[in-house]
Parts: sequence; C-alpha cells; structure tokens
Amino acid sequence: MSVVPNTKRPASRKLRGYAFDPSLSLQLDTVTINEIVYKVPWEELEPGKVAGQGPGPAGEYVEVVDYDPTVKKLYAPVDLNERLTLAMDGLDPSEANPQFHQQMVYAVAMTTIRNFEAALGRKVIWAPRRLSGGGEEYVQRLRIYPHALREANAYYSPQKKALLFGYFQAMPADKTRHMPDALVFTCLSHDIIAHETTHAILDGMYPYYNEPTNPDVLAFHEAFADIVALFQHFTFPEVLKHQIAKTRGNLEGQNLLGQLAQEFGSAMGCYGSLRDAIGHIDPKTKQWRPTEPDPGDYESTMEPHARGSILVAAVFEAFLSMYKHEVADLLRIASDGSGNLQAGELLPDLVHRLAAEASRCSQRVLNMCIRALDYCPPVDLTFGDFLRGIITADIDLKGEAQHEFRLAFIDAFRRRGIYPKGIKVLSVDSIAHTRSPEIGPQIGQLIGIIAEFLRDFRSEVSYCMDRQQMFDISRCFSGGRSKLNGKSILGLHARMLAKFDGSYDFQRLTRLAWADWGNVGVADSRDEYGPRFAVQNLRLVSRAAPNGDQVNNIVFSIVQRAGVKIKNGTIEPHVLKDGEADDDDSMIFRGGCTFVFDLDTLDLKYVISKPLLGPQPESGRHAPQLDEDRVRAQYEYQFETGPNAMSEFRQYFDTGFARGLPEPFALLHQH
Amino acid sequence: MAKKKTAPAKPATKSKTVDGAHVRMYRIGTGDCFVVKFLAGKTETFKMMIDCGAWQGSKEVFTEHVTDLKKYVGDGVDVLVVTHEHKDHVLGFELCEKLFTKDFKVGETWMSWAEEDGAPAVEKLKKEHGAKKKALAAAGGLMARAVNDPAFHRDQNERHMGGQLLKAQERFAASVSGFVDLHMDADLAAAGGEYIGPLKGMAVVKDQIAAKGIRHFKPGDIIDDMPGLKGVRIYVLGPPKSWESIKKEDSAEEGETYDHNKELAGSDAFAAAVNAFSGNGGAGGTLPFDRSFETDMTAAHPYENEADAWRRIDNDWLMSAGSLALRLNTGINNLSLALAIEFIESGRVMLFPGDAEYGSWATWHDIPWKTKGRGKNDDGSPKHLTEDLLNRTVFYKVAHHLSHNGTAKRKGLEMMTHDDLAAMATLDYSVISKDWKNTMPNQGIISDLLNQTKGRLMVMNTKDLFADAKKTRELAPEIEKARRRMSAAEKKEFEAAHDESDLWIDYRVKG
Repeated sequence: MSVVPNTKRPASRKLRGYAFDPSLSLQLDTVTINEIVYKVPWEELEPGKVAGQGPGPAGEYVEVVDYDPTVKKLYAPVDLNERLTLAMDGLDPSEANPQFHQQMVYAVAMTTIRNFEAALGRKVIWAPRRLSGGGEEYVQRLRIYPHALREANAYYSPQKKALLFGYFQAMPADKTRHMPDALVFTCLSHDIIAHETTHAILDGMYPYYNEPTNPDVLAFHEAFADIVALFQHFTFPEVLKHQIAKTRGNLEGQNLLGQLAQEFGSAMGCYGSLRDAIGHIDPKTKQWRPTEPDPGDYESTMEPHARGSILVAAVFEAFLSMYKHEVADLLRIASDGSGNLQAGELLPDLVHRLAAEASRCSQRVLNMCIRALDYCPPVDLTFGDFLRGIITADIDLKGEAQHEFRLAFIDAFRRRGIYPKGIKVLSVDSIAHTRSPEIGPQIGQLIGIIAEFLRDFRSEVSYCMDRQQMFDISRCFSGGRSKLNGKSILGLHARMLAKFDGSYDFQRLTRLAWADWGNVGVADSRDEYGPRFAVQNLRLVSRAAPNGDQVNNIVFSIVQRAGVKIKNGTIEPHVLKDGEADDDDSMIFRGGCTFVFDLDTLDLKYVISKPLLGPQPESGRHAPQLDEDRVRAQYEYQFETGPNAMSEFRQYFDTGFARGLPEPFALLHQH
Repeated sequence: MAKKKTAPAKPATKSKTVDGAHVRMYRIGTGDCFVVKFLAGKTETFKMMIDCGAWQGSKEVFTEHVTDLKKYVGDGVDVLVVTHEHKDHVLGFELCEKLFTKDFKVGETWMSWAEEDGAPAVEKLKKEHGAKKKALAAAGGLMARAVNDPAFHRDQNERHMGGQLLKAQERFAASVSGFVDLHMDADLAAAGGEYIGPLKGMAVVKDQIAAKGIRHFKPGDIIDDMPGLKGVRIYVLGPPKSWESIKKEDSAEEGETYDHNKELAGSDAFAAAVNAFSGNGGAGGTLPFDRSFETDMTAAHPYENEADAWRRIDNDWLMSAGSLALRLNTGINNLSLALAIEFIESGRVMLFPGDAEYGSWATWHDIPWKTKGRGKNDDGSPKHLTEDLLNRTVFYKVAHHLSHNGTAKRKGLEMMTHDDLAAMATLDYSVISKDWKNTMPNQGIISDLLNQTKGRLMVMNTKDLFADAKKTRELAPEIEKARRRMSAAEKKEFEAAHDESDLWIDYRVKG
C-alpha cells in the first residue's frame, strides 16, 4: 500500500497559553481556567535560516526576536513545527522557559491580528517605515522582543515597528498573588500583549492618532487598546463558564462580568488602572458595584489614562446592556418565568448558554469598535467621533437590524457626558454620519470618475493575497504617477489635484483647502500646482452582513496641514517651509477627511471630515478661513491643558508637549 | 546693614523674648541658602543658617555670596540646618569649604534622622539610595556613550526619520545626566559613577563644619530649649519615618497636589539590572533563564542584519533611567528636614520645608502631637496641630523651587490662610537644569501663591519667568499687579519689611 500524502493544511495551529497571566495559575480558584488553547490561523513558520539562528517564531505578520539586551543573551527560538511540539499543542505554559514566552507572544499577537482582520474585512498592514526625505518603506513583520526592558512596562515603538516587553522583580502589594522578588514577565500577560499589538495595528491605520491635538487622542489610543484586550478576553467562553458557574445562581451576571474585567487587568499592575472606572467593591456589602458615571469627569479629567478609562467604562456598559438584553429570555426560561433563579448550582446547560451569549456579545462589541475605525476622521479624533464611527459602521453593515445595540452605546456614552460635536438631537439617526451627502452635480460627476478609478483599484487588489503587493498597489493607486507591473497609473493624489484644485465646491464638501490654500497656511503641492495634502490608507473593505449581503467599500483618508501662529490672540496662518519644524510660537494644525465609497453603486456613501476650514457659505467663491474653534481648542490644549496633565516623566524628559516624542507609548505607560 | 548688628550675641541678649525674624535668601542660583536672624526688638538673639547650594555654580559666584553671608552673620551662626543631600542645597559647602571652616563658628548642626550615620535604618536607606545613584550614573554613562557612538548614529540617523529619534535620544541622555549631576559629584559621575559616599558638600558639613556635633530630628520633635530662642518653638514636621511616604511623589487623588501623577514604579528593578550590567554588582545580575536556553549570536541572525539595524534595541531599555531619576530625586527630596518655627505668643509661624514633596507633606497631618491646635474645626473640636500651624503660617519658604509637586495643595497651600502670608521661592532661570524649566514654576502654584500672599511673593530671579503656561504674562508685572490687592497699610508694611540687593533678598517677619 502506498502512503497517500496529506495535502490538506489545517485551519489553525493550536497553541497553549495563559488566559490571563501566570499569577492566576497559582490560585486554586482560577488555575483551571488560566490555561487555554489559542487557535492561531495556520501559517508557514520560518524555523530559522540557520538552525537556532532564526527569529522564532516568524510568520507573515510577526517575528519574535528573543534577544535580551539587558543581559546580552540570545535565547534559542522555539520551533513550533517540531513534531512533538505540534502534537502537544505547543510547549507547556511555563514562566521558566523563554521558548514558551515566544510561543505566548506569538499566539496572542496573532489572535489579536485575526480579530482585527475578521472585523475589518481586510488584511492588517503595519505602518511603513518613514525614511528621511519623505519616502516610505514596507514593513512586513512587526518585531516582538519578549525580553527587552527591565521594568514593569511594555510598549509599541512606532520608530522600530516593534513591541518591547519588560520583566522585573516583583514588589507586590499583594504577596499572596505574587511571590516577592520573583520575576514577573509582561510578555506572559494576554492583556498586555493584546494591548500593545493593538497600538501597532492602530498606528498602521492612523499614524496621526498619536499626535496629541486634543485631550481625547492619546486617551483613545490607550482606551482602544484596552477595549480590544478586554473583549478579546471575553470571547473565550471557557473562561466565562467557570466564573458564571462559580456564582451559584446569584445571577447578578452583569456584575460578575464587571468584576472579572477588572481582575483581568489588576494582575499586572498598571494595566488594570484603565478599568478602575468600571466599578469597585462596596466596602460594606463586599459586592462589586458598577461606578455611577459622572458626566463631569469627561469635562475635567485630562490625564490620558484617567480619561481613557471613561471610554473603557462606556463601552463596557454598552456591553453589559447588550448582554442583559440577550440573556433575559434565558433567565425567564430557567426560572419558570419568575426571573428568580433557584438557589444551588446552576444547570451546566444554562451556564453554557450564558457564557456563549457573553462571548457572542463580546465579539460583537469588539467588532463594532474595530469597524468604527473605518468611519473615523484621520486626525484629531474625539470620543464623540468614535461613537459616531461605531453607529455609522453598524448601520452601514447591518441596516436596521439590532437597533437596540446602537442605543446601548449611545446611552452609555451619554451617561458619561460624551456627546459628538455639532449634533442637534441625540438619536441614532443624527449620530450616524449622513449617508450619501449632498454633493452638487459638478462635483458629483468628478467623484463618479474617482469612483470608477477605485474600481480599477479593487480589481487589482481584491485577488491579491500578498500583503506587500497590497501595500505596493495601494501606494501606486493613492500616489501620483507611477508604474505598476508595467502599467502606468495616475494615482488618487494626482487625480484629486487635477480635478479639485481650485474647487470651492469640493472645499465646501471636505472643508479642506482646495482654493486659496496659501491664505490658510497650507503649502503648495510638491509635484504639481495645487494645495499640498496626503492620501492615506487606501483600502478595500469587504464585509458580509448578517443577512448575507456583501458590503463592498473603498475607504481612504486625506490629510492636510496648515502652519499657524497665534499672536496676541489672533490666528495667523503661516506656510511652513519644507523641513521647517514648528518652532516655539507656531503650531501644526491638521484637518482631514475619510471617504467611504460604495463600490457596487459607485456612490460616495460617507464623507467624515475633521475640518481644516471654518463653515463655508452654501455657494459661491469665498476666501477660506481656518476653523477658528478647532485652532483655538488645539492651541489651548497643547499650550495649557495638555502640559498640565502630562506626567512628571514627560515634563522632565520631553522638551515640548506636541513635538519630538521619542517613544510616545513608552512614556504613556510610565505612571 | 549696620556693623553693630553683626556683633556676637551676648548671654544677656539671649534671655530676651524673640518677637521677630529677619529672613535673608541668597540669590545664588536655583537652590537654597538662607539666613534667619531672630530678633528681640532690635537685638539679635539667634542666628540660623539653612542650606547653601545651587543646582550649578562656580567657585567665584559662591565665594562672593558666602563672603557676604559671613560679613552678615559675623563670626558664625548658632545653628546650621542642612535639609537634605542634593547639590542645590549643599554645593556651597563644597565650593567654599575654606570659608566655612575658617573664622566661621557653627554652634549646633541640625539634620534629619536620615542623616544619622550608623543607625541601621539609615544605613539601609543610604545603601538603597547609593545603589540607585550608582545605577543612575551608570545608565547616564551608557546612554551618553550610545548617543556618541558613530554606529548608533548611522543606524538611527541614516534614512531613518530624518534623525528625529536620534535627537530625541540625545535630549533624553542630557536630561538623565542632569539628574546625575544633582545627585553625584562631578568627578565621580565622570569616572563612571562609582558612588562612594555622600556629596562632597555634605561630607564637608558632617566632617568639618559640624564640629560641635549634629542633632538629628524626626517628625513630632519639638525644639524649645535653645538659648536665644526664648518665645520660639520649633516643630519638626518631616521627613516621615515611613519608607512608603518617602517614595511617594504625588497623591493619587486629584486636588492633593498641583499635578496628578502616579507613583513611578518598577525602577528599583531597573536599578538592579543596570548595576549588574555595568559590573556594579548587586542581585540584578541573576539571569532570568536557565543557561541551556541560551544560544550564540552569529552574523546570520536577523538581529545582526545590517539592513534591519534600525530595529535594534540595545539601548532602549536605558530609557527607564528616566523614571529611576525621578524616583530617586523624589526619595531624597522627601528626606528634607521640614521645620515650622512658631512665635509662641502671637502664634505666627515660619515654614521651612526644604524640598519636601507631597509624600512628606501628607504625613505631617498624621503626626501624633501631644498638643492640639489653637484653631477649631467646624464641629468645634480643636484642629490637628499641623493644620493649625499651616493656618498660622505668615512666612513660607516655597518647597522645591515652585515645582508642581513641591507644595501640597489641599494639605498644604490651601491651609495657609493667614492674611499676612508672604513667600520666598528659590528659582532662578539663569542657573537651572534645562529640564527643570518644564516643571518649575508650576502655574497653579504661582497663581495660588499670588492670590494668597497678595503679591508678597519674592522670587530669587523673575527674569524669563511667566505666570502662565502660554508664556504671555511675565511674572514680575503679575506680582506687581497682585500687590495692588494689599491695603495701603499692608503695602506700607511690606515695603518696609522687604529689601533686596544683587546678592540677596531680605524680608522681616513680624513675630
């Protein structure tokens, strides 16, 4: 008998790892749930070009390089394809084995990437390396250094496209949880890995989201990374099952989830602080209670972490409302309609169902939050913008279905005083961005041509599976004149310049400067006559709606910057020369716009603008003015509120608030 | 000043009841150097000197000031107070060693409990601080070496971000070395930071100036037996004896200080690691994993790939030196001897907190004083003495050069409600670490001080200082503006009490 080779590839690679972090393996009540099997999409892994000398593991998206510069040691890479390792679902979880650490960061980073890809409907591409002179270079793999720092810190380095994890000797507040002086590794915490990976993914989508132009921007980066870590956690039903069963019929399930959310974070010190806003243990009853939101907090809290925690709490409340809504029927069934469950242990079936619902709700929240990013302005994001993004994205995909989930979000944000700017009525319809905005016939025709062109982009990119090719194609299609596979391509940037230069109509639509740009501090284009702007992040988005429809969008953003000086209270636009840094008395002011096109109808579905220009008159040719409110708000923030809310660390070690951050995320985690 | 006043106080004058004091701040650069002369009427009964240092300074500048100081106090002082071991408080003793050891008599020398060499708790503390200082200097040296290394320049500069990252790292290294300077003698820091003992200035005080011995104080101590200080009682507020408070820079609760940072954690582990890395010894050298996992780096390894050199991380971990520096700085600031000097009869108080930060201030309110305060709480019970002393403060030496964390807000300045409050701040932008400018002065403190003192705020040098973060309102005119809020009588009194020259600013405190 000849052996028939198996040519089928597995869908996923199973890798064991900690569900939380190693400390929970030491507690009897959590040990059983702390080990889970991560199912990572199968990919070929480079075992290393020379035995033991490769990164390990290294796949399409990430490469783990286990060099520890603090002791100048290199650790041999784990070979996940090794026969026995494969058969055992990876190495045993162990703090003492650096190869398991490599496996853990790989598994969690890939799980996070997969979650983003599933929600976004496209591949994750890292932020390119910026070269001197304005060029960009594709970065295939995020590099992960599991042992790079010697403190309780981990961060994403936008400069090196790398995650750096620290380890340290524990000086625990709670000696029952951590052994004093034992080594604690941040690279073994699911939450920390997911958090840092999210920073990297977000940077690949919106590079300006780490530019602190208003109090929400840095807070958003932190909060969003925490939201992803938290809800990714809740998508593991085995974790929830155990805890739901443990409460024996006391089905304040919502409270339990809140308490769990906080415990997840607290094991590793500072990462839990974002979740402190969710709730606290009542000193009298010893019960966990959600914090009553105070709308004043959003007005007054400026420190990025504290502010970020408001957003985390809002999203968490929305999740709880959804979960309550989804399990109400189950609880009625299980209690014969009374709603009061009998004492004693819950039926395993009920536990199973409740956990499944919680897990489903988590996945939904995670998806809603991630998708929202495609419906956000490219610069100067606020929590209100994010809410509008969540609602718009959900309507765009699901139409009228599951209206109540959107209400849950709006209500949770409202209770914390987070209102989008410029909304007259607080309702789903008004919070969602206007679908198919009015554009005059003239502009409409030009936009039609752009949309046709975007179809070409789709045909190039939609069957392309290689990320670097995608990157190259997107770059050609978003840039000026270039060649792609021998074909000459006139990219979006060149086309928009040609079509909209001097257009007051387009100026009205985008509130970016297309006519008289020099008057508002916008420089001339480098290549051709027209205003300078950049096209960012051209991407094809294909998502399957619950009703089976396919939603095919093309999304891209444009960003424009103006130099501004404020003298004696008056705003003076000031065109920055090439290479001229913003000096002490000038400020870089950016506006931007995200366009969402429907590829099937060629319809311009959404124009999501963060205006550079103030309100424009309905028609005619009017000299543009900068958006004074935004300029003043940014100035106020960067020169007053922001510096005051900076950590002492940044006050000492940065020479300015808005400029020259060596490692923005490294500092953010320095409490 | 009339020569006559500088004559040594005769025993007869020592028995008079003190009813005022003359506070002189030497304008020696950002740092403290004070002389307080206690007066009974016009008779000088007691002379106290507090600290002598600046963040940086030349021998010439110090000599000029110290020579004037010697002329001012005559043959010496009854008490020399050294608040804590930072250069901005002790550098003068190093640079003017001869001036202080010759023709200059010091009665008693007062320091905090943390300077009592030989006491077990103190030795432990010094060892910890010593290890941290060593680590900080080592990290500073490593960073400086890195940013000056041509290979590092090439990796970080060429093609990469137009050298932005490199510039940022150079700035960072410079900031760290600024902190090294504050804590270590220059020659030691340059020699690779082998910490061998106290700053030279401190050593000069302990070994030579304090010939008659050093008295060490802890919170709760009361000094009321000094000849020449009849009618005066000195309360010791800090430094706290609990280690946690010393490490604490800020409170987690808002409204407690003028900033709301969290404590900087984890840098102890970093210090151990750096010391091990640079061969300074210590426990940080224990390798995290069994040696069997190690493998040799070869040229074929991706980390060594020249095209990817920009992704190397050999020096990134040294950034933790920043938080180490801040923690060490806070730790030592919080070891400041903090004194409240009370004129018993009137109850008026002069507050000299050194550079105490929030962690120290907060503990003052828990001192188990035997006496209660004179003032009453809302419920009629007597106030805690500390709060009461703050309520009665009429002169405040601003802690830590107007920095954000140098003055507690709710538990400090907000309690200084006396109508006659005046304040002196030792901030001078012409002599200061560049990085300190980001935290000093703190605009919140400036505005509260202007408000509460009605402009009786005396800053060492107002040049280049602003009252707002946007730098649109210069401080000097703002002070003048605030002074308009004094009544005519107050203004007259203030002008009579206040005098200044190029070398000093004087203020006469009514007892």
